[in-house]
Amino acid sequence: MPVILARIDDRLIHGQVTVGWSERLRPDRILLANNAIAADPWQTKVYSSTVPPEIEVSILPVSKAASSLAAPERLDEQVLLLAGSVGEMAELVRIGVPVREVNVGGLHFGPGKREMLPFVYVDRQDLKAFVRLLEMGMSLSAQQVPGGREYLIDQEQIQEMGEKF
Amino acid sequence: MVRALVITHGGIGQELVRVTEMILGPVPGLTAMSNSGKSAADITAQIKEWQVEVPEADDPDASARAPKLILLDDYGGSCATSAQLACGQDPDTAIISGVNLAMLMGFVTWRDSVDFEELVAKVVQKGREAIILVGGH
Repeated sequence: MPVILARIDDRLIHGQVTVGWSERLRPDRILLANNAIAADPWQTKVYSSTVPPEIEVSILPVSKAASSLAAPERLDEQVLLLAGSVGEMAELVRIGVPVREVNVGGLHFGPGKREMLPFVYVDRQDLKAFVRLLEMGMSLSAQQVPGGREYLIDQEQIQEMGEKF
Repeated sequence: MVRALVITHGGIGQELVRVTEMILGPVPGLTAMSNSGKSAADITAQIKEWQVEVPEADDPDASARAPKLILLDDYGGSCATSAQLACGQDPDTAIISGVNLAMLMGFVTWRDSVDFEELVAKVVQKGREAIILVGGH
């Protein structure tokens, strides 16, 4: 089934996704690929409850996301795919999730992270995962909400950012 | 003393608390938290810190298990999700979304005079009643 937005966002399912992007893109399903949440029924319930009723929601371990997207009974569904980190998105692409463009929606400050963009803080691991995504043919852009400023992320910027560590 | 935490996007919560105190005077145990610049994990961790905080040593009722109230601006946002993850299974913490100024003023007014269950019900009712189509229609 077509992935209409593949987004990296450490707030996972929240207003920018369920209202901002969903009002614009009208996905049939939000698929959150996250091992910890998928393994915890309480967290699954909390995150699922925040999705508007007209949108289906799946919360799956990263390893199950590709096969779920390939399920024949859901081929027509338009999916908004979410991952909480660059590394998880790179893993999703590596295992065959059908994506060409990746949206970097929000990576907040944390220990060891430095500012790349006002809403994108990264560490060395994140930069390596960005490179893996580019090497797998993805185009990368950072944009928080529809209509917001879009920043392309290319090899040169990643290298420049790497020199700051 | 029932503590309350207002968790919102941007500076909404700080301003609501500031204006409440401007009208009613200082309110011990009423604080605000913003999600600005924070990941979901960070917000959840900070709420958990607030939850176990014992505010004032001279308050005989103060304990981490005392009843607490969390007020949120928007159900479905990162503040609300983090609040549920941090305290949603804690019977001593009530979580209400849709915070407005009337709710905070009601909370201060009733906090010491009614029991916790009634306080929560009254704050919810006050919040609903504060939404009034005043004119122009």
